Amino acid sequence: MRKKIAFFILLGWLLLFIGDRVDELRVYQGAQIAMYTIALASIVLLTGYSGQVSLGNGAMMAVGGYAAALTLNKLGSPIWFAFLMAVFFSALFGALLGTAAARLSGPYLAGTTLALAVGLPEIANQFAFLGGVPGILFDVGFPPARFGEEFTQYKWFFWIATFLALLSLFITSNILQSRFGRTWSAIRSNSLAAELSGIHSSRMKILAFTISSALAGLAGAVLAMTISLVAPGAYTLTLSFALVTGAVLAGVSSLPGVALGALILVAIPEIADVLANSWGGGENFSNYLPGLIVSLLLILSVIFTPNGPGENLRKHRHNKASED
Amino acid sequence: MQKLLETLLIGVSTGSIYALMSLALVLVWRSTRVVNFAQAGQAMLSTYIGFEIASRSEIFWLGLACAITAGALLGAGVDFFFMRVLFKHAVSGPAVVVAPVIATLGLLGLIRSIVGLIWGGEFKSIEAPASKDGFTIGQTTIPFSALNLLIITTVSLILITLAIIFQRTNLGLSLRASAYAPEIAQLAGIKTGRTRTIGWAIAGGVGGVAGMLVTSYNFLSPYSLDLLLVFGFIAAVIGGLESMVGSVIGALTLGIGLTFILNYVGTSLVFIGGFAVLVVVLLLKPDGIMARGKVRRA
Repeated sequence: MRKKIAFFILLGWLLLFIGDRVDELRVYQGAQIAMYTIALASIVLLTGYSGQVSLGNGAMMAVGGYAAALTLNKLGSPIWFAFLMAVFFSALFGALLGTAAARLSGPYLAGTTLALAVGLPEIANQFAFLGGVPGILFDVGFPPARFGEEFTQYKWFFWIATFLALLSLFITSNILQSRFGRTWSAIRSNSLAAELSGIHSSRMKILAFTISSALAGLAGAVLAMTISLVAPGAYTLTLSFALVTGAVLAGVSSLPGVALGALILVAIPEIADVLANSWGGGENFSNYLPGLIVSLLLILSVIFTPNGPGENLRKHRHNKASED
Repeated sequence: MQKLLETLLIGVSTGSIYALMSLALVLVWRSTRVVNFAQAGQAMLSTYIGFEIASRSEIFWLGLACAITAGALLGAGVDFFFMRVLFKHAVSGPAVVVAPVIATLGLLGLIRSIVGLIWGGEFKSIEAPASKDGFTIGQTTIPFSALNLLIITTVSLILITLAIIFQRTNLGLSLRASAYAPEIAQLAGIKTGRTRTIGWAIAGGVGGVAGMLVTSYNFLSPYSLDLLLVFGFIAAVIGGLESMVGSVIGALTLGIGLTFILNYVGTSLVFIGGFAVLVVVLLLKPDGIMARGKVRRA
């Protein structure tokens, strides 16, 4: 435990050190990577461990984003409290949805959460206090003056996002290594056997859904921070799909993999841009090429390495070992 | 009273389109045990092809025929080149339960991007084959139009054709048999693999019709069929995902119900209403309205 804390502190220090030495755009992308890391951790916990497929993580993120923005704007609270409320409300929402979800299996759950992801932006459009299509502002304010003149806004985003990401990863990895993590794996691999050994399977599934939603909500608030805005257009179906892709690329049940998945998700639009420019394609190219790459990666990885790239390496090593 | 009747008629017209989408989902679910979220994408691509033909030839029905053909080929292609490969590879590990669902999502994204690359994101519309203006009875004009009537007629014809195929032909028998008990069907000499691909093709064709009909009174964009997919799914769940009759009943009920919400409450609650129906059905009657006693856990 003490080693782990030391590791996370060291990692955080290293990230901040790197953050000091790269240009503004990379710092901003660093904040995005941190945001995706939190969101992917929520999927790993839910899908990789408790075996429930949710396609509605974008919707959960929206709940967090709106909760944070409303807290900040209406109550004029400090930022940390806004993030806390994001976690609280999305957890509450997740618990409600999880209660329904625990009774559903595979396709039903996937369809229901998909419906939510399609519909939530529509719902958000309808209510005045959510600001309709333009959304509501979410301004975390300037970095504290004591960091000096050099300290930019993006760097402030990056610090907050990185801190929250590391904190989330730390907590999540502890939860997954605890009794809960093992119980979820048991339910996923054989729910009947798990119930026979005294596990209250639906209660545990609801718990997984709640924690996962809390993480997604936090990610939603971080996303809102980086774009200074909460709007239905930020939490689209495309986002939900991208998150699933990132989780599959990372290996659905590998927590360290999420950082890699997040990195890929941020890198893809960059790569697509370069490709679109070099092929001289029009507007369609730059709009749809990232989606094309994401979907192709998703399909290829789900067919060839459904359990993540790590599995194939392990298998390879295993085969080698047995040959010797 | 008049408003009630109008709402009912429009509801049937809306519901009949949902019926096609939910049938497409049910057909695939029965044979493959996958809810094919890519159905929205397949239907969209077929509709774009139908749109191209219809707008060039200026004949809606030619476009519809092409959309059906394209949808059927696409459906068969997805099963043959995609699902078979997937099931061959994804056999073990924590991801095996989620792999098919995620794969269909990937396919949806892929088709959406391809459509976007070719046609772009702007809204397209298809010249409707019939007037969108409501019928005039005596002095009053009702919102129910010739187009609505045409939609109901087209869907009815398709449903009757499907019913004949499934009840009266050998193909229908093998489709039902391989969905009900694949191994026994195989022992009885049915080529289950080929039958499954035919099932996917039928589903694809039906989805293509749904896309064309929705587009005839709406617009077409890479995202325009998402809502149809969701409502089709809800309808299929009402029917229990297994039953074709159930899904049609579910779709009509949903269509009528949502039109009532639209006419009497307002636009803002239509989606929430649909979602509420989904949650209530899943909680109270998770096996659908057609379930008889026995509870299936899948």
